[in-house]
Amino acid sequence: MVERKNFYLTEEGLERIKKEYKDLKQIKSSKTGGEVPRILHSEDLNPEYLSFQEDLNFLEVRIMELENILNNAELITSPPKDKQNVIGLGATVSAEIDGQTDEFTIIGTLEANPALGRISNESPVGQALLGHRTGEEVIVSSPIKTIYKIKKIRYSSS
Amino acid sequence: MLKLSQVKSGLILFFMKEILNFLIKAGKLKEMPRRGWILRGVKEPETIAAHTFRMAIMAWVLCCYKKLNLNKIIKMALIHDLCEVYAGDTTPYDKILPKNKKKLKEIIPKWPRFLKEEKENIFQEKHEKEGKALKKITSELPTALRKEIRNLWFDYENGLTHEGKFVRQLDRVESLLQALEYFKKNKYFSTETFWIQTEELVDDPLLLKFIKTLERSFYRK
Repeated sequence: MVERKNFYLTEEGLERIKKEYKDLKQIKSSKTGGEVPRILHSEDLNPEYLSFQEDLNFLEVRIMELENILNNAELITSPPKDKQNVIGLGATVSAEIDGQTDEFTIIGTLEANPALGRISNESPVGQALLGHRTGEEVIVSSPIKTIYKIKKIRYSSS
Repeated sequence: MLKLSQVKSGLILFFMKEILNFLIKAGKLKEMPRRGWILRGVKEPETIAAHTFRMAIMAWVLCCYKKLNLNKIIKMALIHDLCEVYAGDTTPYDKILPKNKKKLKEIIPKWPRFLKEEKENIFQEKHEKEGKALKKITSELPTALRKEIRNLWFDYENGLTHEGKFVRQLDRVESLLQALEYFKKNKYFSTETFWIQTEELVDDPLLLKFIKTLERSFYRK
């Protein structure tokens, strides 16, 4: 189940993974030690997520997955100012597609979810956009041609 | 002293009525046509259960070539749309879809696009609605089963593990395959949004190869 590859993560994504790893380790040790984990008393956490964490088999597999991710994590950082007009990992892009404006961030596979405006750098659209600049047109060559006119590129200040 | 297997079978007997109720509810997916096809004017479109069926088969045959947990993947494929029994088959565009059929026909071939914040709001609203629906449909099941179904759905919905990400992408690929089959029957059927949504979502190398095969099979003679 364990893959060896680099996982590109935003600072926020990396923190989330670290927190999940720490929480799951705590829950696992509490489960095996027979105590009720303190984290389960927290009202801040999503009950849906807590339920997700309760299965021990899941815990073990997920802990292994997270260890692999943390061992191979690479932090996405903003490029220097003179290169911020080029689409790279972490870039939020405004593009015109078929006369409509769309907005998305190019991100590593672990944090990707187009429904939330996060496109994987390993997807065909992500790959096609990487390296392009504001004002350029990018053609995504599926059987039906789609043109992405790049209007704006920005990086978070971090 | 009772063995664990005896306890489990006893538990199943105790919950038999509840399990039957759950299966009757789940069976409603066999009668629910998928909304995306209705909006596109497909006559007698496939049901949600039909989509789930082929997705589970795809999960099995494609997963053979991947180092993933097949048991988890097939179960995840089987339950991924279960919440639609109560939540219905919604689209991210429901709030802005025109009631006028002519206008609807104009908008459908190229779905509207949204800004990032709008996407996040739509996703959150849908996620909450479907989460509640899933809780409702699984509410009478024995705890372990209920938890397993909810955990699998939560993983799928958020693409949390490798399996969750794979099934999420598989869902889109099955829909693309179905769209291409409708396109083959009726050349006026537009597959444009299916292609672009697939190419924005899928990054699994095996599924990308499968998509290339779809392209060759349906577009080249």
